[in-house]
Amino acid sequence: MNRRRGLVLGGLLLALAAAVIVAVGVGTVPIRPWDTLRLVAWKLGLAARPVGVPESTAVILFELRVPRVALGVVVGAALAVSGTLFQALFRNPMADPAIIGVSSGAALGAIAVILATGGALSGGLAVSAAAFAGAVVVAFGVYRLARIGPAVQVATLLLAGIAVASVLSSVITMLMASSGEQIRSIYFWLLGGLQARGWDAVAASGPLVVVGVAVALLEIRDLNLVSLGEERAAQLGLEVERFKRTSLGVGALLAAAAVSVAGVIGFVGLMTPHILRLVVGADHRHLLPASVVAGAILMVLADLAARTIVAPEEIPVGAVTALLGGPFFLYLLRRQRGAVRA
Amino acid sequence: MARSARWAVTVASVVALVTAACGGDGGRAGRPGAGSEATFPVTLSDDEGASVTLRRPPRRIVTFAPSHTEILFALGLGDRVVGVSGAFDDHPPEAQGIEAVGTASGTEPNVEKVVALEPDLLVTAFIGGEWKDRLRDLGVPVFTTLAAGFDDAVDDIVTLGRLTGARAPARRLAEEMRRRAGAVEQRAQDEGRVTCFLELSDLFTVGPGSLEFDLLERAGCDPVTASADEPYPQWSVEQLVEDDPDVYLASEFGQGIEAVTDRPGIRELRAVREGDVHLVDGDLVSRPGPRLVEGLEALAQALHG
Repeated sequence: MNRRRGLVLGGLLLALAAAVIVAVGVGTVPIRPWDTLRLVAWKLGLAARPVGVPESTAVILFELRVPRVALGVVVGAALAVSGTLFQALFRNPMADPAIIGVSSGAALGAIAVILATGGALSGGLAVSAAAFAGAVVVAFGVYRLARIGPAVQVATLLLAGIAVASVLSSVITMLMASSGEQIRSIYFWLLGGLQARGWDAVAASGPLVVVGVAVALLEIRDLNLVSLGEERAAQLGLEVERFKRTSLGVGALLAAAAVSVAGVIGFVGLMTPHILRLVVGADHRHLLPASVVAGAILMVLADLAARTIVAPEEIPVGAVTALLGGPFFLYLLRRQRGAVRA
Repeated sequence: MARSARWAVTVASVVALVTAACGGDGGRAGRPGAGSEATFPVTLSDDEGASVTLRRPPRRIVTFAPSHTEILFALGLGDRVVGVSGAFDDHPPEAQGIEAVGTASGTEPNVEKVVALEPDLLVTAFIGGEWKDRLRDLGVPVFTTLAAGFDDAVDDIVTLGRLTGARAPARRLAEEMRRRAGAVEQRAQDEGRVTCFLELSDLFTVGPGSLEFDLLERAGCDPVTASADEPYPQWSVEQLVEDDPDVYLASEFGQGIEAVTDRPGIRELRAVREGDVHLVDGDLVSRPGPRLVEGLEALAQALHG
């Protein structure tokens, strides 16, 4: 049984490698695989600068496509792990990074900056920083709101999160309605995307995501305990309140890191854990590492579709994840004919 | 959104053909020298195929599009404009004090507000909308024009002149615009063509069928987005780097030139390295009104400066 699960993780890693290679090799502008290989070898210091390959090809490959794919890996892993943490913490199959207002907080932060700067084009680091701040402030605000006495009831936290998220969504709608010419920037920021973000975005979000994922992986045993119910977990020696604080913080951090560089991308955080539970089961020792890899795969492939389906035009990647992810998820759900567990 | 925009453009271009066929500047056939003693009643059909008959020149007009506010003021009818769409109706400055009828969404007017102003005409550039039927039911004629090119925009001004009893000023304005556009096109021919990219915002650009695309071609450049299927697509940076246009134009709304150029891929473009990046006033190139020719001249200046 464990061997099978090991095979699943290995298979996922291979699939990620394949997805990355395809996503780097394929794009709006066709680059011959041979040229790609020679350019990569040159960049790694293994070969001389290839002759006969235009300068623009190197720019496209190393300034646009590779960072874009790298950002897809980072964002996908962050969203999927965040979703897995929230589903375990809230013991609720509907939980995802949007649930406790994190996405709305991020969106509000970003919109505030877009409006204040008179419509900064997306990709500005000020927008990312504000989105991150908004997400973290909302996550901890919700936590404080839900705190009654020494303990935070998970149900209260969930409800407070949903309420705050819908209040923030209304504020966003009102801001958009009165934003005038900036409405376009805001609208497309909200749709999400990895276009034209570059290495800056990878550098801004990457370290946070690595730390967040590492902390989550260290918490695997506690995640399994808390899945049994808080009371039981406490009896088995878990410091439940401290655990809730940590995993909420890590989940919010991961979601904020993703949203701040890629906008609001739905479905990856919600779906990835569910898909994997059908494959590897609910044990977080297998589920969490698999989520890291599978989230990255989903995001890289969705972005590949977003930039190639109607090339040289682009479609928002959030639309792709919803369009492809929704039906696929429903298919899995029907095939399994079982209850969805968190 | 995209579908309705494309539909709008299709309708607009069909109507452009019809208008052109009727001879927008010659007045009605069989009425030589009708002059500005405009002929009312007048019956005209708009870009949506709606037929509007006015028995006398309209006295109280609501505009629901900044371009149309500009047109009426340019025709000397500013004192008849009793309502405008909202904050975007910022030109000429006198228009800013006029009652706004737009709802928060900005895509349709508040019907109650319009009716309360007791207008005898509403003109707009928005295609579609059930609010038009409601206004018509309440006795307010609604006339829609949406231009997909420079000639189309000039013809629409002439049409609006006929509808509002300002035929002579409309014809003078149209002649002036055509003359200045002709000078720009002459200059473009002398200077030779360059390739260009116009960014509206967030890599959204213009394709064939959009007003801006037509202006770019007239001003003397071949947009690298000529293969676009949509009038307003979002473009791939990869493709942009590959095509490496001679000139990079960005619609300005206060963002500053660094916000445009300091982005991955964009900063490697030849136009950016050689300083051929220009901000153009978005209002001038996107509003099918009297200042469109200024937009055309600004584009030509940026391209051949």
